[in-house]
Amino acid sequence: MKRNPVFREGIQIYIIEGHGFVVYLSVLLILAPIEFLTLFLPSLDPQIWMGPANLFKVSSVAALILIVYFGLRVANQEFVPWRFLSLKRWLHQERLTASEVAQGQISLLCLQALIFVLLSSPLLIWAGAIARTAASSILFTLLLLFFYPLTYGLWGLVAVALWEHRMENRQVFIRCLFVSLVLLSALLYLPLNPVAFLLYYLERREMVPLVLGGWRWPAPATHFLFHFFLLGSGLLVYWRTLNRREVYL
Amino acid sequence: MPSIRKAACHFCSWLLLVVLLSIPLSAAEITLEPHIGFNGLFQLGRPFPLRVDLANSALPIEGTLEVKVWKGGPTKGTEPYALYHRREVFLSAQSRKSFLFTVDPDSISRPLAISFSSPRARLSKEIDLRRYFSPSPLTLLLTENSVSPPIPIGSASPHQLVSLSVAQLPVAARAFQGVSAIIFYEQSLRDLSKAQIVALEQWLSAGGRMLFLGSIHYALYQEPSVSRFLPVRVAGLKKLTSLPSLEKMYGERASSLRDLWVQDSKSVGGTILIEEKGTPILVEMAKGRGKVLYLSFDVGRPPLSRWEGLSLLFRDLLGSAEERRYDSQPNWDESVFSQLLLNRSFISVYVPSRSFFLWILFYLGGLGLLAWLWRRQRFSRRILVPCIFCFIIVSSLGGYLHFDQGGNVPDGVLLSSTVLESLPDGYVETQSNVALFSTQRRHYDLEVEGGWTDFEPVFPRFGRSEDTALVAQEQGSSTRLRFLLREWDYRLFKIRSMSRFPVRTEIQNQGDRLLLRLTNLTTRDLTECWFVMPGQRFFLGDILQGSSQTREFPLTSQRGVLRDGPSNKMDLREIVFNDRTREILFRHSFFAQDQSAARWGGGAMLFFGWVKGATRPVWVDDRRILAYDYTLFRTIIPLDEDTDL
Repeated sequence: MKRNPVFREGIQIYIIEGHGFVVYLSVLLILAPIEFLTLFLPSLDPQIWMGPANLFKVSSVAALILIVYFGLRVANQEFVPWRFLSLKRWLHQERLTASEVAQGQISLLCLQALIFVLLSSPLLIWAGAIARTAASSILFTLLLLFFYPLTYGLWGLVAVALWEHRMENRQVFIRCLFVSLVLLSALLYLPLNPVAFLLYYLERREMVPLVLGGWRWPAPATHFLFHFFLLGSGLLVYWRTLNRREVYL
Repeated sequence: MPSIRKAACHFCSWLLLVVLLSIPLSAAEITLEPHIGFNGLFQLGRPFPLRVDLANSALPIEGTLEVKVWKGGPTKGTEPYALYHRREVFLSAQSRKSFLFTVDPDSISRPLAISFSSPRARLSKEIDLRRYFSPSPLTLLLTENSVSPPIPIGSASPHQLVSLSVAQLPVAARAFQGVSAIIFYEQSLRDLSKAQIVALEQWLSAGGRMLFLGSIHYALYQEPSVSRFLPVRVAGLKKLTSLPSLEKMYGERASSLRDLWVQDSKSVGGTILIEEKGTPILVEMAKGRGKVLYLSFDVGRPPLSRWEGLSLLFRDLLGSAEERRYDSQPNWDESVFSQLLLNRSFISVYVPSRSFFLWILFYLGGLGLLAWLWRRQRFSRRILVPCIFCFIIVSSLGGYLHFDQGGNVPDGVLLSSTVLESLPDGYVETQSNVALFSTQRRHYDLEVEGGWTDFEPVFPRFGRSEDTALVAQEQGSSTRLRFLLREWDYRLFKIRSMSRFPVRTEIQNQGDRLLLRLTNLTTRDLTECWFVMPGQRFFLGDILQGSSQTREFPLTSQRGVLRDGPSNKMDLREIVFNDRTREILFRHSFFAQDQSAARWGGGAMLFFGWVKGATRPVWVDDRRILAYDYTLFRTIIPLDEDTDL
């Protein structure tokens, strides 16, 4: 992978030149005060003593939203877009195949998600320790925090492949997609929603199974099936778009 | 071959031995016999004694005896939950032992279950309590006389009369709660155990009533074990030719009583209600909230046993069952607990805000420094990348260990707030509100001081259905309550008991001023004491143990104005203390704001002070649990004829 020029370009821009530091710092600078204020400020709830108990839940939800949101923006090349070579150039001038470009961009997305989770993990682990959350729950939450930015971030890559030179279109698309998916999943069947699923899991609440066509689908299975479908469909659209660009451009 | 045969024989004999040893005792070798209440009777809704006789007709056995009762339910507005009374028992071979419990089921629709379990035997029995209850309180009669005195109690009161022997008396004051009165007639109390005496005294001070009926066998009444309860010292017998005082009270019925032998006695601290020619006939003595009555007649022998006015006399003596008064009970629910936890100083006990802030600063600062070094290229990136990884991992693990195992985060916080409500004769009614707040999922062993009379878990408005079972285990002088708490969960309890706390408060009205004399005969100091009278309040400072203090207060207001006028209400919320938690307890629990107690009216005077180093009514032997105790002593002095201003 180190030899993949697309991946190397991303490493160069985000890490070696340090343009990604702003994004990572933004996530941390939002997450840290949220965590501290959750612990420090007495809530208006009469069950005030539950403040520390909710610390890990609040922190995880905040981290989930932040990581998915910033992951989408990074995948959509919203930060220093002028520094990235265009797909046209990669595919035709640099003579890369669509497969190589896809591998490079997806690997970069995985690396970004990993960095986000890694940087947030101390804050989340401390919150888990204060809230007396089981180590297995903390680990599972960190895995989810790695999984969701991949699932949603892939649609950022789709947007880049579809409207590379229409920045505004991409921005509107990924935001609309993210908000609508979150809202629709919450409206149609709550366990589909990543935030609700995480809360259900952390609160050890039983999730109502989905009854569809006389079949009872367990909520966790439904949730992951939906997200794997999202991931798979994103991959398919992304792959087809890149192939089309390779052929027609 | 012979060696193989020998080995086979050895193996078979060992196998046989193991099989024989592993055969469990049959249930028939252990028998379990329960005895409910007082000779099979108890008052509905009150605790009652339960004696379980265990007999072992085989090898020595060790096991657990458990009594399961159901508490809560719709009548209490909560989910039903099980309370287990557990005792570790050892039965030697061919032996029989009795085990005493005090049980208090909230519902008798579910059976009471008794079980004995050991690795070798298991035995259980269920008892339908509906066959044993009485809707009214019981009156116990203790007599060694084979012919019981004709006590016409049926017509005198609705109470059920139960004859008992001294050995059958319970050893816990709580077990007497369904008993309105105990009558002693020609009964030696030499065989009373120390625990029984303590239980009787506690029940008495909590509102019980004892009636000693005189007898011609007066020597029995001179025994120290009896005379410790009597309001008189019995000297002998005396013959009375007529009873004018009795005639005055009961009219012509008493005129037939002539030439009557009565016990000659002298009152010791009691109030003589009926006296004939210098001889006390009926003497009453208050003990805390209770009462001891002494009647010098021998009602078991003629002519009194045939006297038609006897039922009237007993009606007066036993009276109606007096409901226990719990005036101005401290408020205790989750709203008070929330107020306490809103207190910043209290939160800091279990929330590591400061160290969390420092860890965040350390982490963000460290990352910032590494990022700066990265941008400046002061070090090679081959060095910085592992450094960043190591820094994140070390921060994660360090913080986790700090907050999980250290960080001064306790496993739980135990808070007890107690009000010592002054009663006559140096007794106090102790009302303790207890909260145990847990930051971990774990079992807790709450130790409750012996002698408690009432124990009530307080459930939140939205009752939880899981993890509510309680296990009570008697351990010497204390009771151990074991229960499970989830992380960030809590349980509230109310505990009531009677004890001695001799702080004397005397008030004299001297026309234009009021004289207050306070004597602290306890072994504890009273701090931040206040005296509140209609329209005024005075800070008295500290009253040290063994000291007394006399203060004069001017009475500037007019007599009529002081009584019940709205302007005389004193807002207790204006009183401030050095400790914020004390203030919260004072305003939200002891004198709750939403109750009338927050504004002290003109109907009574009030003295209160905080008890320094008071004996804790509950505790947990665990260093991972922080304990806080707040104890307030208070005396409410009604403005009656003597102290009317």
